[in-house]
Amino acid sequence: MSFHNYTPVLSTMPGVVRILDLVKNYELEAVTVRALRGVSLTVEEGDFLALMGPSGSGKSTLLNLLGCLDRPTSGNYYLGEEDVSEMEDDQLSEIRSRYLGFIFQSYNLLAQYTVVENIEVPLLYQDRRLSEETRRRCVELAELVGLGDRLDHRPMQLSGGQQQRVAIARALVNDPHLILADEPTGNLDSRTSDEIMQLLAKLNQAGKTIIMVTHETDIAAWARRVVRMRDGHIESDEPNPHPNGHIALVTRH
Amino acid sequence: MNSDSPLLVLWDKCCRLMVLALRSLWLHKLRASLSVLGIIIGTAAVISLMAFGEGSMHDALEDIKRQGATNIIVRSIKPPDDGSSQRRSFTVTYGLTYADFERFQMVSSVIGSVPMRIVDPQEIRRMQYMHRGRVVGTTAAYQNINKIQLVMGRFLVDADEEEGDGDDVGMRNVCVLGSDVAEAMFPFESPLGQTVVLNKHLFVVVGVLAERMPTGAVGGSSVSAEEFNNDVYIPLRTCRGRYGERIYIRQSGARSGEQVELHQVTLTVTDMDQVRTTGDAVRDLLERNHLKKDWGVTVPLDRLEAAERQKQRFTVLLVFIASISLFVGGIGIMNIMLATVTERTREIGIRRALGAKRRDITFQFLIEAIVQTSVGGLFGVLLGLGIVYGVPYAAEQFFNSHLPAKLHVLSIFLSLGVSICVGVLFGWYPAQRASRLDPIEALRHE
Ligand SMILES: Nc1ncnc2c1ncn2[C@@H]1O[C@H](COP(=O)(O)OP(=O)(O)O)[C@@H](O)[C@H]1O
Ligand SMILES: [Mg+2]
Repeated sequence: MSFHNYTPVLSTMPGVVRILDLVKNYELEAVTVRALRGVSLTVEEGDFLALMGPSGSGKSTLLNLLGCLDRPTSGNYYLGEEDVSEMEDDQLSEIRSRYLGFIFQSYNLLAQYTVVENIEVPLLYQDRRLSEETRRRCVELAELVGLGDRLDHRPMQLSGGQQQRVAIARALVNDPHLILADEPTGNLDSRTSDEIMQLLAKLNQAGKTIIMVTHETDIAAWARRVVRMRDGHIESDEPNPHPNGHIALVTRH
Repeated sequence: MNSDSPLLVLWDKCCRLMVLALRSLWLHKLRASLSVLGIIIGTAAVISLMAFGEGSMHDALEDIKRQGATNIIVRSIKPPDDGSSQRRSFTVTYGLTYADFERFQMVSSVIGSVPMRIVDPQEIRRMQYMHRGRVVGTTAAYQNINKIQLVMGRFLVDADEEEGDGDDVGMRNVCVLGSDVAEAMFPFESPLGQTVVLNKHLFVVVGVLAERMPTGAVGGSSVSAEEFNNDVYIPLRTCRGRYGERIYIRQSGARSGEQVELHQVTLTVTDMDQVRTTGDAVRDLLERNHLKKDWGVTVPLDRLEAAERQKQRFTVLLVFIASISLFVGGIGIMNIMLATVTERTREIGIRRALGAKRRDITFQFLIEAIVQTSVGGLFGVLLGLGIVYGVPYAAEQFFNSHLPAKLHVLSIFLSLGVSICVGVLFGWYPAQRASRLDPIEALRHE
């Protein structure tokens, strides 16, 4: 398998992700926290977007909504052609298992599972039987992220960078429309961070749409587009003409 | 999309979850075994109590069969003393009479009857050998009604009641020996055709009985436990002639006598349905013809009821103990499952984020609870089997007491089924709680 299996489809469709005037309020006992105050955003297929902003600006809230882990107070969210803002809990689970891949800051692997089994987890919830074929796919993904020799290791036996690679492989196993990453390098040293970002850039090269929250500018430098947030608003939305890793990969061709 | 059938998918999921549950059980061996202790004890209790209940029921049934389920046993009972027994020498006359025996024949449902005179332990002699045993005077019918098995020779026959030849009073001096008597008197040779001395008269041995199981006592009634292997059976007519109708007992200088015509009459009817009504008819008959209550009527079938009551008591005890320990076991499981859910909140968050539906989470924890209780149930079954086979053996070995236990195969499935139910019942709430967790909160959980 190579990255080039994921050739970007140049569609006339208006983006993988479209959010319109998204509002999220948290009702606390005394006050209402207005975490998102009307955010609109379109993300095209194949984009690599970095979401930046000071703490408390609503990045995680937005990412949770984009990841169908939560529902907005108002506004619409179209993922592909589906309006997911009004969906039931079960439907959202279905969406997550079919169309989304998650990469977390703290890797979030399941300790009782081996590397291959961890990669397999999203498939467990896709109303299908796991077969030799799916198992082979997981092994290939493990090889893809450079863990072909660690298939039967448990997360505890892996370094942070390796664990994050497993998480990336896991995020790819269902061939998602959209990969969501919340500070994927937050727990890693700068060298490992670079390796992880290289991997993400390669995936993006191969056509994967990625939305990544970060507060580090040199991590954001790998993205094609940088969106800054403040107080629940989008403050700026600028393309990055020279994303890291992009040239390198092109020259390698 | 793929075309896997939903059932296959469910089965696949089930297997995976069971493997996962077993793995985590193995990981927390001690914790798991403590939490399923209640289940283990509960299932073991179900199996062993059912076995003991069944065993005593079985024993009772066997006993009833030995006494004859279609039999009615009528016995003479010495009535309570009245003031007249103050006299130094007095003969009490009581009990069943030959007239009673004739009257029993009139009851239409009675198809067989055996009169018995029982002479209390007598010395049975032959050369240097001596043995004490009851002498029972009876008729040929005794064999059929009591389902007597012979190891050699014959039992008494009708002809033995007839006037014999070659004897001064024309009685046939033949006898049939109980197995213990035969062994004591004839350790080295066949007793057939040999003679033994009973009450100074020579008796020819014509048969030897197979060993007979004793019958149990009937609580509160006139029938006490009976041993048969020390008996010597002689024709009734001969018994009357040789021993007379009176039996004298010497007690601390006082000489008292008893005059009893028949000690026991065993009646038999064709059908078990008739036993009770016939018993009542016999009681009626005796009540009309006896001034004193010097008789007792026992229907062995009544013992069946006693045994059923016993079994019911066992069942009540069983239900009580089993439900308490299974309830405690269930609480244990619930407790451990709630702890597990809290412990694994983050795992739940991860699974939810990766696409698990609420019901997937419910299912996972439910399966885990069921696997725990079933494993507990399996160990409980093993423990129960150990008790069912070990305790009676130990009782026999160390306390020399008979503890009937009969394993009820159904009880194994029953108790396993109940353990699974306990898993479902007590795993449900924790599993529900796990599934209700908010994925975002759960992911944030440390
Ligand atoms: N579950 C919640 N309940 C109440 N308030 C929340 C919750 N999650 C986030 N908030 C509030 O919403 C605002 C945005 O939070 P968040 O999206 O986590 O910001 P960021 O990730 O950019 O630091 C903050 O003021 C935060 O306190
Ligand atoms: Mg945040």
